[in-house]
Amino acid sequence: MTQVYLSGGAMTAFGRHTGVLAPELAQQAILKAMDDAGVTPKDIQAVYCANVLGGMILGQVIVRDLGFAGIPVYNVENACASGATGVHLARHAMLAGQYETVLVFGIEQLTALGGGTIPLQRNDHKTELYAKAGMVLPAVYAMRGTRFLHERGAKPADLAAVAVKNRRNGALNEYAQQRSEVTLEEVLGSRMIADPLTLLQCCPSQVDGAAALVLSSKKPSGRPAVRVLASTVVSGLQEGARDDILDAEITARAARQAYEQAGLAPGDVDVVELHDAFTIAELLYYEALGLAKHGEAVSFLHSGATALGGRVPVNPSGGLLAKGHPLGATGVAQMVEILWQLQDRAGARQAKGARIGLTQCTGGGIAGVDHAASSVHILGV
Amino acid sequence: MPDTPYPLWSSIPEPQLLASRSRDHDVLLFPALPADSPLAPAHATVPLAAEGTVYSFTIIHPGAKTGLAPYALGYVDLPGPVRIFGRLQGKARPAIGDTYRARPDAQYGYVFHAVQGDAA
Repeated sequence: MTQVYLSGGAMTAFGRHTGVLAPELAQQAILKAMDDAGVTPKDIQAVYCANVLGGMILGQVIVRDLGFAGIPVYNVENACASGATGVHLARHAMLAGQYETVLVFGIEQLTALGGGTIPLQRNDHKTELYAKAGMVLPAVYAMRGTRFLHERGAKPADLAAVAVKNRRNGALNEYAQQRSEVTLEEVLGSRMIADPLTLLQCCPSQVDGAAALVLSSKKPSGRPAVRVLASTVVSGLQEGARDDILDAEITARAARQAYEQAGLAPGDVDVVELHDAFTIAELLYYEALGLAKHGEAVSFLHSGATALGGRVPVNPSGGLLAKGHPLGATGVAQMVEILWQLQDRAGARQAKGARIGLTQCTGGGIAGVDHAASSVHILGV
Repeated sequence: MPDTPYPLWSSIPEPQLLASRSRDHDVLLFPALPADSPLAPAHATVPLAAEGTVYSFTIIHPGAKTGLAPYALGYVDLPGPVRIFGRLQGKARPAIGDTYRARPDAQYGYVFHAVQGDAA
């Protein structure tokens, strides 16, 4: 059976890249990833470009001057899950025997938008009506936070502790946008955005960045070969009238499929990069990914299991909260981080002895579903 | 009231929010489907109960530059069953389980207002 390897990866620092256009930003990651994989443009048979807000045929614009020989360029949009979806689609084509070696990259430039929350895409009557009333993603997550505190007997400090952990990790990551450790008091004392979520519990909205991976069915030599053990993308079910907004159903479903594909269980995972766009999300995803039992997310966090040095470090990169969340780049950057973690290349934020890593990201932005998309990948050496 | 391509409120005997009920699956869709939806023939337009309870909520704190005051948003569970998102008014801080009543609103089409006893 064909195996799919991550033969190289790279990313730009996430942050403000004022005045840098998309080609120059993305090419930084692309060229480093190709160098990391030891390939040249003639080795690449297809390109997958993940992006949300950059406009049409962005992939072709970015690779125009890189010397690719007129190969297919696929532009992929699936909201915040765009990058992971790009990897998923590339793997499909490789498993079908279409390509041996491809390039997948993600890019987003949000600073040009001037800040603030990313607006919902108003393409349907329900989303238009709800958006007019004030529905934005911080509100959606905040309502999960309110319900979580109500049902679980948790405290706002339990949410804030996620930001403390991930921002501590981000301080160790030269690619992270926000590299300052914060205290619990600072998180709780930062400006309230959407009760119970304060500013330091929300991922930065002004960030640019790119990340790139070379995928190949040829086993790389040199470093430990990192293989894609599972790759899933699922879409949200139509919300029911009495759904539990704490069960992260779409992510739990994506994870179940991924574990089945890989023949692994949650306890086999050594390191995780998950979609902590807001602190409450990380707690919900502990349970959706099966890392913690239902109802035990808070105690799991406080046990230290998900901190660096714990049983399964979560978001050693700093996650979206510290590293930043340039939408189309996020899913690819998560896998670059896991690639480095599995090859013992993560420096001060290294999860010791990690052999199995998991990435998870969701794409939101419409009313009437939990999320539009969720993607889980499991990588292993 | 905002002009919508779907019926939002009934008029007789008093305004009630409208939804579409599937003829096959007994599922309610809010807002109601527009007449030009290919799904419309398989649905009936039905009025909703006026009052429901808050399932969850948040209070948005706009940045100082906006000059806007904080406002509450939430999910309200109505009999039917159906869950509707909207503005929560009439109480500075809602609570889960509070009773709210849907009212027509010129800006948003509808808002939920805390009923007496739950109102501050």
